[in-house]
Amino acid sequence: MEDDILKEIYFKRILKKQVMNNNDFDLYKQFVKTTFKMRYKGSILGFFWVLLKPFFMFLILFMIFSRVSGSATGLTSQQYAVYLLSGLIVYTFFNEGMVWGMGSIMERAGLIVKINFRREVVVASSLTMALINFSINLVIVIAVALILNIHITFLGLAYVLLICFTMFLALYGVSFFTSIWLVHVKELQHIMELVLQLLFYASAVFFPVEMIPEKYRFIVYYNPMARFVKAVREALIFGEVTDLKFVILALAVSIVLVILGKIYFNKHIKKVAEHF
Amino acid sequence: MEDNEAIKVTNLTKRFRIPEHGSPTTLQERFVNPFAKKKMIDFVALKDLSFDVKKGEFFSVIGPNGAGKSTLLKLISGIYIPDGGKIDVNGKLVPFLELGVGFNPDLSAKENVYLNGTILGLTEKEIDESVDDIFDFAELKEFEDLSIKKFSSGMQVRLAFSIAIRVKSDILVLDEVLAVGDGEFQKKCFAYFDDIVGKKTILFVSHGLDSVRKYSDRVLWLKEDKTYEIGEPNDMVDRYSATF
Repeated sequence: MEDDILKEIYFKRILKKQVMNNNDFDLYKQFVKTTFKMRYKGSILGFFWVLLKPFFMFLILFMIFSRVSGSATGLTSQQYAVYLLSGLIVYTFFNEGMVWGMGSIMERAGLIVKINFRREVVVASSLTMALINFSINLVIVIAVALILNIHITFLGLAYVLLICFTMFLALYGVSFFTSIWLVHVKELQHIMELVLQLLFYASAVFFPVEMIPEKYRFIVYYNPMARFVKAVREALIFGEVTDLKFVILALAVSIVLVILGKIYFNKHIKKVAEHF
Repeated sequence: MEDNEAIKVTNLTKRFRIPEHGSPTTLQERFVNPFAKKKMIDFVALKDLSFDVKKGEFFSVIGPNGAGKSTLLKLISGIYIPDGGKIDVNGKLVPFLELGVGFNPDLSAKENVYLNGTILGLTEKEIDESVDDIFDFAELKEFEDLSIKKFSSGMQVRLAFSIAIRVKSDILVLDEVLAVGDGEFQKKCFAYFDDIVGKKTILFVSHGLDSVRKYSDRVLWLKEDKTYEIGEPNDMVDRYSATF
């Protein structure tokens, strides 16, 4: 009897340590709000300036590749527009998540050496920013698709959200490691930039897989990003659930990654303040 | 740890490993010169330090630069972890190593109150309740919506101080932030200190030896050779002053 009570108290304490308390959550909200305001402030057009860059990226890629890619995949130019847009937003989500997640601890160095707050909040809020951006982008893509008369199904959209959730978990898990590594190895920033750029071309974001010579197609096949991009496209354009086995496997791997990452993070974060 | 103790430090040791001058620290340097050995120097900041702070006590730490005062505060605040020994803290401890941590110059004063307040450990609800009092105390009511980059440094510090004193705590850790702003506001700060002395446990680090003399119950004197003394304020300050 007493043992049970003790066990419960112990368990609650452990749980409490893992879950955010009120202040942690408010702090998380404050960090997200601040970053959001800083990003979109400055002018009435603030929000549009942020969208302008990806829009021109889209426009250029569309003008150059729509004919070639369209004929290779048998997509109409309307379908290719959504094909390209969805690829771009999935890649952007991953890119921002990796870069912001990795930089999160470093960016708040000034705070970390002054106050002992829950450090994980910083990682969570950075990734939330990437998620918010992705959500805004997704709404835009859906709006464009509807204008272009592409029929979006409920099932397709639900599948996109599942993939996005999986990616978010993966980013979260990876950021637990990279945010700490960056403090020790500053060059990681440049390495990451390079890797992400290569990944952009290896993920068939703006051209169809069919355009890659057969002997190199394994690059796409073994690249999780390419498969996420492909699955999101097929879900959005055709409302089909494809590659489900892979997505479930990725989800399982991501959950393990988050758990391992959290253990690693909790162990190493305490020392980080000395290394800035 | 006994009931009447707020902070108990036992055999505390802290070392920093810093790279020797000229040894490679970045990947790039290691690539360029792969055979250069990475040499680290152990720098001892605190060695075998033991003391306790009683509940309600005003405990001051004095000593020359490099004696380890700031390191000690950061260890007690949980920002660094000890290499040896241990630190027990009994009660909620709030460190003020610097006023206005996390202030964002582009946000309005009000937004900064929320940001800085949550960083210091307040909940949003608690700030909702005290935001008016904070601006009243800082005498900045009419500048609520102004971005604080337009504030003078005195105004910023006043705002920061007013937020800091709202944080409920049993133990305050103060690093040279006493008495800020102009004469009028200084009076208010000192009135606040007079009020909390004896009610809260205060660990105080300062070069302002007059305030150490005036408020402290006991003083810890950290010396450059990593030895230390604990004693009565006037005696400690007199002997410390005699060293320079």
